[in-house]
Amino acid sequence: MLSGVDLRVGAGRISALLGPNGAGKTTFLRIVTGLLLPESGSVRVAGIDVAADPMGARRHIGVVPSGDRTFYMRISGLENLAFFGRLYGLSRREALARAEQRLADVGLADAGAQRAGLYSHGMQKRLSMARALLMNPELLVVDEATDGLDPEGARRIQDLVRGITDTGAAVVWTTQRLDEIRGFADAVTVLDRGRTTFAGTVEDLMLQATSRAYFVRLRGVGDAPGDAELQRANEALGALGTLSRAGGDREHVRLDLTEGAVLGEALAAVSGAGLTVLDVAQQRSELEQSFLRLTTPRT
Amino acid sequence: MTGAQANPIAELAKLSAFLRRDLLTRLSYRTAILADLFSLFSQALIFYYVSKVVNPARIPNSGGQRTTYIAYVTVGIAVSGLLAIGLARLVNVIRQEQFMGTLESLMVTPTTASVILLGSVVYDLIYVPFRTVIFLVIVSIGFNVSFVASGYVPALVILAAFMPFVWGIGSIASACVLTFRRGTGVLGFATFVLTFTSGAYFPVSLFPSWVGQLAKINPIAVTITGMREQLIGGAGWDDALTVLAKLIPMSGITLLLGLLAFRLAMRRERRLGTLGLY
Repeated sequence: MLSGVDLRVGAGRISALLGPNGAGKTTFLRIVTGLLLPESGSVRVAGIDVAADPMGARRHIGVVPSGDRTFYMRISGLENLAFFGRLYGLSRREALARAEQRLADVGLADAGAQRAGLYSHGMQKRLSMARALLMNPELLVVDEATDGLDPEGARRIQDLVRGITDTGAAVVWTTQRLDEIRGFADAVTVLDRGRTTFAGTVEDLMLQATSRAYFVRLRGVGDAPGDAELQRANEALGALGTLSRAGGDREHVRLDLTEGAVLGEALAAVSGAGLTVLDVAQQRSELEQSFLRLTTPRT
Repeated sequence: MTGAQANPIAELAKLSAFLRRDLLTRLSYRTAILADLFSLFSQALIFYYVSKVVNPARIPNSGGQRTTYIAYVTVGIAVSGLLAIGLARLVNVIRQEQFMGTLESLMVTPTTASVILLGSVVYDLIYVPFRTVIFLVIVSIGFNVSFVASGYVPALVILAAFMPFVWGIGSIASACVLTFRRGTGVLGFATFVLTFTSGAYFPVSLFPSWVGQLAKINPIAVTITGMREQLIGGAGWDDALTVLAKLIPMSGITLLLGLLAFRLAMRRERRLGTLGLY
């Protein structure tokens, strides 16, 4: 169930749709592509009302669905693309030419004659991207395209999408991988249980982070800091935050900053207490913290 | 479909894409094609030997001609086999698309639901009658069953008029699959009853007289009887036209009901958003 979701994506922009499982991301994409009729509200793609004219709207939409098995596994990647091209009204000759071009665009030119069933997960994702781009869509809808891909594969998909926006296409990108939207998406909408809990830029989303926890690697007088040294450091920190054992390795401790505290000041206080700060790492990224704050934990 | 209407010619042109897709897919399963041909031959072989123990005097005349059980049952098997295979393929095609995850990929293209349904079965609508002809040829050559040459064309026309009935029943079954996921059991039972009482394997006279009355409005029985009269008795075009006058409305109504059921099922799935679920 979706309620009160309002999303606008301009030409050449990437809008990320975040949310935990069951938040309504796929439902939203189904409504956008006309697979699901909304009980109220409307979706317009390139000025066309999707519910009133789904066929007309679909001519302007390219879809990269989640999951692998969205192709005919016994026929080649090229034949798959040519088939879908025909469904968009292309002649066989046009569809083949367009399919070959798109396969080359996504780096699958050499694998075009291979059966789609023999493609790796990453190759199927690129084939899916090639299919979505067959008709130079004005709106590209991408449903968790990097799910299950290695970092290189995910980067490749993102590069392809960035390239598409250069041609003026608008992109709706759903994901659960928070790290991938930084420096990629122009806008973010967070859905939780069918409602929008955040809409804004990635930077605005990061500012939603409230709890800030770090892992700090410290050295005391001997080697790892002792309990008495930690006690001293905590006294020095005062209202800035608290240090506590992170478990296991005694060299690493957890630093929880209070709201408004500045990390540099906290580290200076720890140094002033006689401990050497060797390394600092964020326990969770600001994006992850914001996401967790804006969504309801699932049991 | 609402909004701008699709160009019917452009939509129908998409059928060749479906045909090519399914031809390539089937050709990739070469062993299955050989196995299918073998099953046709083995079926004919079994009935050839069964016919040896059946008294020809108990077999009703067709087109005024006496016949053997093998000739009689061959036409029944051909038509009922066409129905069974056609129906199985029609029903499974949507289910298969759901399982493969390709149904939603098809549905997000600017293609009407009717063309997706027709496209998904166009290969079988061509292949299954072709397979039926092969079966008749195997029996004719392999088991020395002679059919009347002048009856081939009228028989094929009757068979062609029967295809919309198969398509219609298949569309109803597809709609059941879309709606209930496992809704083919009742339809399968109904088809069995219609086939069993159609005289495909046994003369209708063996059944209670009311079965014989029902057979007159059973499209399967009408088709089988009509084809027997042509292939065995060489009844000619006048008889064929009488059969067609009965069969075409039955097939037409079934097809319309089937397409309507499928359309309603698709609309329901769109409303519920459960098209990709199986």
